[in-house]
Amino acid sequence: MTLYHFVGLGMALFAIGAAGFFIRNNAVVLLLCIEIMLNAVNLIFASFARFLYGTEGQIFIFIIMTIAAAEAAVGLGIIIALYRSHKTLDMSLIKDLKG
Amino acid sequence: METVIFWILSAFAVAAALAVVFFKRAVNGVISLLALMLALAGLYVLMGAPLVAFFQVIVYVGAVLVLFAFVIMLLNLKESVRPLIFLADVKAATPAALFAVGIVVLSWLALQDGVFSKAAALPPASGLRQIAVDLFTRHLLVFELASVILLVAAVAAIVISRKEGGRP
Repeated sequence: MTLYHFVGLGMALFAIGAAGFFIRNNAVVLLLCIEIMLNAVNLIFASFARFLYGTEGQIFIFIIMTIAAAEAAVGLGIIIALYRSHKTLDMSLIKDLKG
Repeated sequence: METVIFWILSAFAVAAALAVVFFKRAVNGVISLLALMLALAGLYVLMGAPLVAFFQVIVYVGAVLVLFAFVIMLLNLKESVRPLIFLADVKAATPAALFAVGIVVLSWLALQDGVFSKAAALPPASGLRQIAVDLFTRHLLVFELASVILLVAAVAAIVISRKEGGRP
């Protein structure tokens, strides 16, 4: 195993998450795709921390996990509010901001 | 041996990520994401970062995914299962696929720099003590800011999701 293996896996996961973010329509699944992307970045940080001799990578991971938890809480709150006001979570039907 | 475990875990992780994207129902997506998180935790252990693996299981699996499951159960999403632009929708899928391939190609080109090839051998992992010392001395401000962010997010989530004009 080299650094390339881990970074390649992280890139693949990030790409899957990013593509899923564009092709899916359900707001909950969009949040799940964001979580995939955050986890891919975490994996890359961890591999850099391991292979480039440092603790900063792992500390970054803890901070990213904190932000991810906060993001999930706020995002799910927004989803609940959205469902209450629109009665749907289909993002192609919710276009109030499109003008 | 380690290489075999790495390939098994990474195949599992990629399959789980694809499952999150392609399962129609959000509940199945949450379960697949759980599988992805556990595979990543295994990879962290393999990488010599057991602390990160513990946090991965406790924070993501124990807190974030349970929150997702709660919200899905709360909303009764069954009637809105249809919402999903699927691969049949070429107009949406083509840019997405191009974007994903572009990410992979660009970051692969960036990796060809040669800086990282020096770090190809697996060095000894940095210990728990060193991480703790760094976290509570050099990165203390970030640590405290993270706690403030968590507090603000908790309050914001309650405020956003409560009923309009109702009591919290």
